[in-house]
Formats: sequence, C-alpha cells, structure tokens
Amino acid sequence: MARTPSRLARPSAGDRLASPPALSKDSQVAAEVKALIVAGEREAARERFAELVGLQQRRASRIAFAYLRDVHDADEAVQDAFLKVFTHITSYREELPFEVWFTRVLVNGCLDLRKARSRRWRWSLPMAPDAEAVACDPPSTDPSPEDRLLSGDRAQEIRAAVQQLPDRQRTVFTLCQMSEQSTTEVSQALGLSEATVRVHLFRAIRKLRCLLER
Amino acid sequence: MLKTHGHLSDDRLIALCLDGADAREAAHCPACQQRYAEFAALLADAHVTAVADADAAFPAERLERQHARILQRLEQDGRPGRVIAFPRHTREGQAWRSRPDTRWMAAAAAAGLVIGLLAGHATQTVPRGAIATVVATDTAPPGFRAVPTAFSEDEFLGQVEMAADSPGGTDLRSLHDLTPRAWEVR
Repeated sequence: MARTPSRLARPSAGDRLASPPALSKDSQVAAEVKALIVAGEREAARERFAELVGLQQRRASRIAFAYLRDVHDADEAVQDAFLKVFTHITSYREELPFEVWFTRVLVNGCLDLRKARSRRWRWSLPMAPDAEAVACDPPSTDPSPEDRLLSGDRAQEIRAAVQQLPDRQRTVFTLCQMSEQSTTEVSQALGLSEATVRVHLFRAIRKLRCLLER
Repeated sequence: MLKTHGHLSDDRLIALCLDGADAREAAHCPACQQRYAEFAALLADAHVTAVADADAAFPAERLERQHARILQRLEQDGRPGRVIAFPRHTREGQAWRSRPDTRWMAAAAAAGLVIGLLAGHATQTVPRGAIATVVATDTAPPGFRAVPTAFSEDEFLGQVEMAADSPGGTDLRSLHDLTPRAWEVR
C-alpha cells in the first residue's frame, strides 16, 4: 500500500532553473491533433485524438467519479470534456502539459454537473438506490490488503469523511489523490496559487483525520 | 521545523508525507513517528479507496463503450446538420380528401346557421301585441279588472273613497277608518 509521495513534491530550485521538461506523450499527441486541425485534416485529427482519449480516459473517469459519485453523470462529464477539448484544441498551448488543461476542462464540467444535479434534486422525490451504483462497491472475494480495506468499515468511513469536506477542500484533495498531479499542476488546473492549494490540502487532511478519529 | 511542545506539528508531518521528504525528521520521537504513520496510512487508504471505487464503477467494458461513444459524437460533431425536408402535398385536393371529418364539420356549421336564421325569422313574425295580451290574460288573477291609468291623483283617490263607501267594501271599513282622508291631510 505504499504511496508514491514524490508526485506531490514541489519542484526544487534546481529543477526550476533547468530547461523546461520534455512534453509528455499526451501533450505531444495533443500538439499533433492541433496541427492537423489547423492544417484542415479533420479526419486524421480525429483518429489521432482517439489515441489521446485512450491515454486519458481512465484517469478522467476516476476524477469525474470521485467528484460526482454517480456512474452516469461521470460518464457524461468525461464525454463532454473530451468533446470540448477537441472542439477547442486550437486554443491549446503546447508549452503546458495537456493533462493540466484537460483536467481543468473536466473539473469545470463536473462542477457544472453538480450544480445542475443539486437543482434537479431540489424538485425531485427521493428514489431507490440505483442498482448499478450499488454494484459499484468493490468485491471482497480477493483477500489482498486493499480488498480487506475496501470491504471493511474503514473504506466506508473514508468515503463518508471525504464527502463531509467543504467543496474547495474536497476538490483539492480529490485532484491530488486521484489525478496523480503535483500541487503545482493542481494549482494550474484550478487557477489557484500553489500556496492556496497546499493550505486547502492540509486543512482537508487534518479534517479527515479528525473525522476518522471519532 | 515547526514544533509544538517538542513534537512536530501536523502541518509538518503532512508536508513530510506529501513531499516525500526524508521521514527521519520524525523518527527521533515515537509519538511523532506514530502520527506520521497515521497520516501516511490515511492518505494511502483514501487513495486506494477512491481508485478502487472509480475502477469498479468504470470496468473495461464501460470504458470501451465510452470510448466508442466519444468517437461517435466527434464524428457527428464534424458533420453538417441533417436537414429534414418539409412535407409537401402533390395536389391540393389530396389534403382535403385525406381529412373527411372537416367536411362533416363544415356541413354541421352550415346547418346550424340555417336553423338559427329560420328560428329567428319565425319568432319575429309573431306580433308583439298578441304575446303581450296572452301574457296579461294568463297572469291576471280572477276578480280583478284592468284599471286605466290615464287619470289624475284626485280621481284615483275619489274612486277609492267610492269603493270604500260601497256595500261591497264592508271588509275594508276598519282599515278605512284608520286612514286619514285626503282633504284632512291637505
């Protein structure tokens, strides 16, 4: 269950002074898609974009599900985000990581969906839990430590505690936990300063600990 | 190094967990080491829980369907919108014949109009005087006779006096005695 904490590490002074890091594969593919669109080769751009979708799809689904806690809403948010990115690919700046830009589009879409859902729930009657959503609970047949964690009360407590976090704290915590991004990248994705992101993240973790100690 | 009463603060321990710094800073104190382990376990458990939940909600089949759906929507997005032709009739008469109910509605409206006109004409041909006479005859109670109203107040009061003095007016005598005379009032 070892976590790779280095993904949240801040870049050192030496890193900042060094030449800009090479673009990730996702960013390279996004730059190619943009070039194809600019050249008017829409069909080829679509085929190339399909590869980009495959690279980002799993991560996007995790982020959207962590935000929305609903399979259908998360599916819709991911689809809409990819469509929006393809539509506006000409505004993508190649010097920035594609993951950051895409995460920003996806998170904004998730927030819009959550607002729409809260408006919808205001006027609707409570319904029985969705069978598919219930089925989302992970199976407990595998005796691995992860499954022992997930099948126990601990996982349920963690889910409940994360849901009790204030919106901003939950957003930052979810992104840092799910998107495998550093606080610098999360700050770029959310349009906040890195110091603000770290403050929200620290508060979220402290509050989670308090909630789980009860 | 942030310390509270000789121990590392929560923020420092969280930063150690997040930044992947050397945890030897917390190793000198068993209490700090314990708290560091708790924070690390919390972050690890939250990560595992969230990832497992999302992966269970999005199995490979669903991701494949999602991928196909995204490509389908992208393909539709590039196409111009399909224009649906407005339905048009080859002959004007076909539209009329295809709706036979309209003919019955028109015939019923015309018949209603004719019946209304005939009924109005029939009521206007009956003289008004006849109707008034019939009504007056039917509604007048027996024993009363029509009194012409084209006389003055003095004549009317005189006739009332005469009626009261007549032998048939004995029933009204007591009432007559209570009523002041016309010339007494003046």
